[in-house]
Amino acid sequence: MKVVGALGFLPADSFNVIVLMAVFTLISLGLHFTFGLLNLVNLAHGEFLLIGAYTAFQMQDTTGSVVLGILVAPLVAAVVAVVVERGILRFFYERTLDSLLATFGLSVIIRQIVQLIYSANPRTVRDPIGGAVTVAGFVLPRWRLLLVIITVALVTLVWVILGTTAFGLRARASVRNPALAETMGINVGLVRAGLFTLGSALAGLSGALLAPINTLNPQFGLFFLVNSFLVVILGRQGSLRGLVVAAVVLGGSLSVLQFVMRTVYAQVIVLVIAIVGVRLRRVLAERVVAYRERRSPARSPQVAQGGAVDSG
Amino acid sequence: MIPVLSVSGLHAGYGSSTVLRDVSFEVSQGEVACLMGRNGAGKTTLLKALMGVLPKSGKVELDGKDITDWKGHRINVAGMVWVPQEHSVFPGLTVREHLFIALGGRGVDAGLTAAAELFPILEERVDQEAQSLSGGERKMLGIAQALVVHPKLVLMDEPTEGVAPIVVEQLLPAIRVLTRSAAVLLVEQNLDTAVALGSRAYVLEHGTIVESGGIRQLHEDGILERRLAL
Repeated sequence: MKVVGALGFLPADSFNVIVLMAVFTLISLGLHFTFGLLNLVNLAHGEFLLIGAYTAFQMQDTTGSVVLGILVAPLVAAVVAVVVERGILRFFYERTLDSLLATFGLSVIIRQIVQLIYSANPRTVRDPIGGAVTVAGFVLPRWRLLLVIITVALVTLVWVILGTTAFGLRARASVRNPALAETMGINVGLVRAGLFTLGSALAGLSGALLAPINTLNPQFGLFFLVNSFLVVILGRQGSLRGLVVAAVVLGGSLSVLQFVMRTVYAQVIVLVIAIVGVRLRRVLAERVVAYRERRSPARSPQVAQGGAVDSG
Repeated sequence: MIPVLSVSGLHAGYGSSTVLRDVSFEVSQGEVACLMGRNGAGKTTLLKALMGVLPKSGKVELDGKDITDWKGHRINVAGMVWVPQEHSVFPGLTVREHLFIALGGRGVDAGLTAAAELFPILEERVDQEAQSLSGGERKMLGIAQALVVHPKLVLMDEPTEGVAPIVVEQLLPAIRVLTRSAAVLLVEQNLDTAVALGSRAYVLEHGTIVESGGIRQLHEDGILERRLAL
């Protein structure tokens, strides 16, 4: 931090580090459902952020209210999600590579539709509350502060839904053993549709929330796609706790690195951090399992693989 | 009397490979029908097809209702439950959560009490992850999950296979309790257990039913021993 400080990192900049951590969490929350839980390699995730962002823009244009746009954005994304899940994606669960192709096609279609309607010209959504607050002598933009607070609230909401509700319990069961869940009376198809819709609505909301601090164009979603996948993969697919830790690590790394190098190089280093992090996590997990087996061979649970999920 | 389960002309298999050919049989109210056959005869495939896990053709009726094209969750809600051989559980979910799912979230406390009466060990393990239970305890959980929902028909796949004799001693009385309130289609390799529990037997060979009748008669005539190469 001393080196970073010498290169111009001010204490007030630590707030921007926190904001980017929140942004990384926000862009990944929806993907936690569609890729983390449902195991769809959802390359259309960025386009649901795009739908949310342009909904905010459209409502600003039509009604003059960005806040209304932010409220409507998850609903629009949810409607699109229901249509594409029932019409296309429900045939691609448990078909990982096929789901990649299907969602890639879907992402291209959504992007082109947005471009047809709004052109490729850059658009802006104004800051819905504006202004700044002073905390401990530092001036913090109110919208960015609110983004951090909303992110914490959304993570808590997702944790409550998945960890404590009957739907969450059925969702965890359906994800972990779909055949058993179905024969125990859970309508797995309906649960999957619910998870996809919820994840897409969250992506739409995140896109709308991020619109005021970004310039919109039809490529808006692509910018966030890679980082959201890095967060979900590093955090262990299906783990909300892991997602938050990964978002803090990767978002924090990118924002700090941006002070000492160009963004493109910082992004490459973030990619390397994610790859090394995944490897380290696996080695650590193997050691923990080996340790548990040494301590209690008979009662040790099986090693959690790929799609394992935690409630938190 | 309308049979609880009526199967006629059933064909089923995995992908393009047909395992079951023209299978027809019935299970009546209050009956324990044993499905017997050598390894690979198609017993588990038949249970999976009935439960909607595998695609099938033919006709399957539960309590007079045609359920041939129904999905697994609908079949379960209609009153047919499956106790799989592999004592499958949901990783990360506790015993209580398993019973919650089995009961569809209704009457969980009463269900827990009923399960604990049958298998007191489950009460001790109620907040423990089901994945960490022993094989025998998982079998108990599977039977408890079936029992608490008061089903019309239970498909039970080798409940005593791969567990210690002391656990079998606990499982058998529970299975008897189950048979008092529901019809049971039981896959059982152990002839003594099958004869002790069952009233009727169907013998599968190469995916086709080759023998059927009262299980004691088939046993006394040596037909089961011959078919099962015992």
